Amino acid sequence: MKKIFSAVLLIIFLSSVHVFAAGLRESSSALTEVEIWHSAQGSNAEVFDSIIETFNNTIGKEKGIVATSIYQGKANDVLTKINAASGTDSLPDIAMMDATAATDMNASDYLVTIDALGIDTSKIIECGLSSYTSEKGLLALPFNASALLYYYNKTLYDSLGLSAPETIDQMAYVVSKTGLAGSNGKLLRVGFIGIPTTFELSTFIGSQNGLSYMLDNRNGHDGVATKAVFGEEGTYKTFLLEWKKVFDTGFYSTATTGTTEEFTAGRAAAMLASSSKLATIINSAEGFEVGVASVPMVNENATGGTVISGGALFAFSDNEAVKTVLEYLVSKDVQAIWSEGTGYVPVNTESYETESYRSFLKENPLYKVASDALLSSNPGMTNVWVPSAYSIYYSFQTNIINYLNGTGVDETVSEMESIINSAIKTYREQNL
Amino acid sequence: MGKTVQRTAYDSFRHVTRIILLVLMSVIVAFPLFYMFSSSLFSASDFNNLRLFPASPVWENYTRALNQKFFWRNMLNSVGTSILASVLRTAIAVLAAFAFTYFKFRGKNLIFTALVLTLFIPQEAVLYQNYRTIAKLGLLDTWAGIISTSLFSAAQMLLLMGSFKAQSKEIYDAARIDGATDLRYLTGILIPLSGPAILTVAIQTLIVTFNSYLWPLLVTNRSSSRTIQIAMTMLGYAESGQLGPQMATLVIATAPFLVILALAKKKIETTLTRR
Amino acid sequence: MSFKKSGKKKHFQNKAYLYLLPALTVAAAFCWYPSVKSIVESFLVVNQGGKVIGFAAFDNYRRLFSDQAFLHSIKVSVTFILLFVPANTFVTLLAASLTRRPSRLSFIPEYIFFTPVAVSLSAYSLLMSDIFRGEASVLNNLFSTAFSGITTPAGAMAVLVILGIFLDFGLDYILLMCAFRSIDRSVIEAARMDGAGGWRLYWCVEVPMIKNTVLVTIFLALKDALLISAPIIILTEGGPYRSTETIMFYYYTEAFRSGNRAVQNALASIVLLIAGAGMTVYSIFKRKKEAL
Repeated sequence: MKKIFSAVLLIIFLSSVHVFAAGLRESSSALTEVEIWHSAQGSNAEVFDSIIETFNNTIGKEKGIVATSIYQGKANDVLTKINAASGTDSLPDIAMMDATAATDMNASDYLVTIDALGIDTSKIIECGLSSYTSEKGLLALPFNASALLYYYNKTLYDSLGLSAPETIDQMAYVVSKTGLAGSNGKLLRVGFIGIPTTFELSTFIGSQNGLSYMLDNRNGHDGVATKAVFGEEGTYKTFLLEWKKVFDTGFYSTATTGTTEEFTAGRAAAMLASSSKLATIINSAEGFEVGVASVPMVNENATGGTVISGGALFAFSDNEAVKTVLEYLVSKDVQAIWSEGTGYVPVNTESYETESYRSFLKENPLYKVASDALLSSNPGMTNVWVPSAYSIYYSFQTNIINYLNGTGVDETVSEMESIINSAIKTYREQNL
Repeated sequence: MGKTVQRTAYDSFRHVTRIILLVLMSVIVAFPLFYMFSSSLFSASDFNNLRLFPASPVWENYTRALNQKFFWRNMLNSVGTSILASVLRTAIAVLAAFAFTYFKFRGKNLIFTALVLTLFIPQEAVLYQNYRTIAKLGLLDTWAGIISTSLFSAAQMLLLMGSFKAQSKEIYDAARIDGATDLRYLTGILIPLSGPAILTVAIQTLIVTFNSYLWPLLVTNRSSSRTIQIAMTMLGYAESGQLGPQMATLVIATAPFLVILALAKKKIETTLTRR
Repeated sequence: MSFKKSGKKKHFQNKAYLYLLPALTVAAAFCWYPSVKSIVESFLVVNQGGKVIGFAAFDNYRRLFSDQAFLHSIKVSVTFILLFVPANTFVTLLAASLTRRPSRLSFIPEYIFFTPVAVSLSAYSLLMSDIFRGEASVLNNLFSTAFSGITTPAGAMAVLVILGIFLDFGLDYILLMCAFRSIDRSVIEAARMDGAGGWRLYWCVEVPMIKNTVLVTIFLALKDALLISAPIIILTEGGPYRSTETIMFYYYTEAFRSGNRAVQNALASIVLLIAGAGMTVYSIFKRKKEAL
């Protein structure tokens, strides 16, 4: 009895580990599984899932491939998961991430580049390719490309006889007209909500003088950047001085979370957000018509256009199944469906030619704003690849709010420069 | 309560203040729960309009919550891991406490100190190293991965030792002389006698495991292996203002515990109240 | 009898080890091993893949303390501890005091004060992030106030403190309330006879008698406040403007998101040191108390 007891105990303890380990693993069969981690939320997630389902029922069925889409949180949560999983056997086959992942992925030894997979990218839009190309080649396949848009409450703007501003200076005027204060001085509606950060700045700074960069080495695309250049080129200062005008209207909210909800509820008259939110915002806007325009220019010399944002698909397995799935995801029909359901810009140039997408744009002209802005921009405009991108993102917010609250402009610029330079220095010391 | 003593004005003032404070605090503490139940029936516009009650209840939120592809799987993972952790962790603590209270052996003090010193090591500080261990053992995305780091609690062992020590050692000696094995003694005599302490340990583990967040988040990558606590933060409805189904999920995951608590409240009070 | 005992002793030895084996295995694998490894590796250069590539001496620590974000996180953690611990103690003690004597309807507030144990961390965090989502929030609407919620640094800190209290409230309340009710009635009656009533009875008789339990709750609050990270992941992600980036949240992002081994090992060692020191102080304190 005693022996049995001891034995049972030992077995329970030692084996539980393996029994339950086996319990959760899906039984594998002849099918090849392609695991995709993504960050698409809400209705975008539904569209993505349905695209994957269609694949499984058609091409997947033919070729014996099952694609699984797994939501892992926001884009930076996916990066967290990838970094944590690196060095274990739990990396997915494909992950949807954005520019904040680029430095890490470029340095990693587990990334499989798109060139290595041998995928034909001749039909992919140029700015999409250049935004994920490093000295190693094409790191990731553009999939969910977007552009920054100026969203505004069209009903309100129309009633006041205003149109979307073309420069930040004009924007300050419009914001002062669209804000609304109650009798007690409390703001009932702000003219603009949100604090620009890395993504917004890559456009605001990048578009100046035809084309500018924030960091050297073409924003880090030609090898890890060595320093920030927005200080010596004066581009950041130019932006700050203009942006202050918007703040000084008194109808500006510096909130960094819940901005979309404030806009759709009608409590903020305008905001900057990615075109990927277009479908969601149109659907949830309460009692007003949504208008979108391209991002206001910093000044008349800011002629560069807009930077492509959004994300791309990074591959971690080198096999036919992964290649098949990736090719499917950027095919012209899938890209058209994806764009129609979300507001992302099709990355496949042929998508624009399809009859269905053309008629869709005719009925929904708002979806055209982002792709027009992107396709007419200087293709040299690239997103920023900086180490500790997540941390820099917050630093920009803090830096700008400090400036708006009274820090001198030159001090503000040099502080931001030194934050970025020290992040770059630490990274270079540890990794190069 | 003899209320023959005449109430002074001061006394009634105190009484009224006490009642007011009590009502106020109850309302504050209950508010998030009330809001959870109420907003689980909200439409997107109810959230936008900052309502306290739904304009008209959207029961569809519950169907959407229940129809999530992995809802039941996530629930099963939560229930499974908490029961398993509860049983194993209690068993491990019982055995250790048994060994320390009933046996003499070489190195007893050293082993005891080594085990008690684990109290000094917060799991948060060794999060990354433990993650690597679990990953190396191939236990990511498994129940074993979710529970194995927390299978021993020195605090629980000490609690059980206190309870075991209260039992007379003579019963054990008598039982041994009668030919009872350790197992018989443990299951037949000691465990029933220390019922409240063991139950406390088991229930505590059950709730802690069911409600844990950070560790399961780290060691699960697939939708099918997540626990409900992780799944509810991963619904991704926030972006579209569709918080209703998320709140409905919260209700479904919380309500059972509210019921258990209502039933067990008296028991908990008597266990913890010494007279 | 003595003959039998000595016979048993020898027999018992091996069995005891067997009973202790599971506990020792878990403690060794998931407490001792990772702690020692963190401390050792904090003096080494370890690459992302976990390979040791050199000796670092104190470089990792130097790097950690020269990181502005880390220094800021210390400030945030200290602020949080200073706000949370007193507030939490006050609120839970108040709730327990108000319900320390059972009466006809007291089961209602008692049950309400129990409920926070049944609500999970993620549920409370999600609820708070909606209830305090900004200036336009359900509570501001109700009371026509203008609390900024999680959209401003001060507001986010306040919400985090409130969330922290909700997370600790249930357990603390149960401990304190039961401690109050464990006080020997005769002591209270005797004090009453002596003419002590109301406040005097409460402060001079009842509170001193539950002092140990109060200390336990304060200690638990300190520990939770120092180690808080998970609620922040759900509620604010450290923002706005890093205002809620506590030490352990910083650890989480550096260890898991940035894969920064240097910071992860050095910081883990420091936290182990602080936790060890804290526990030592606490146990010395407790032993002294018990000796008295």
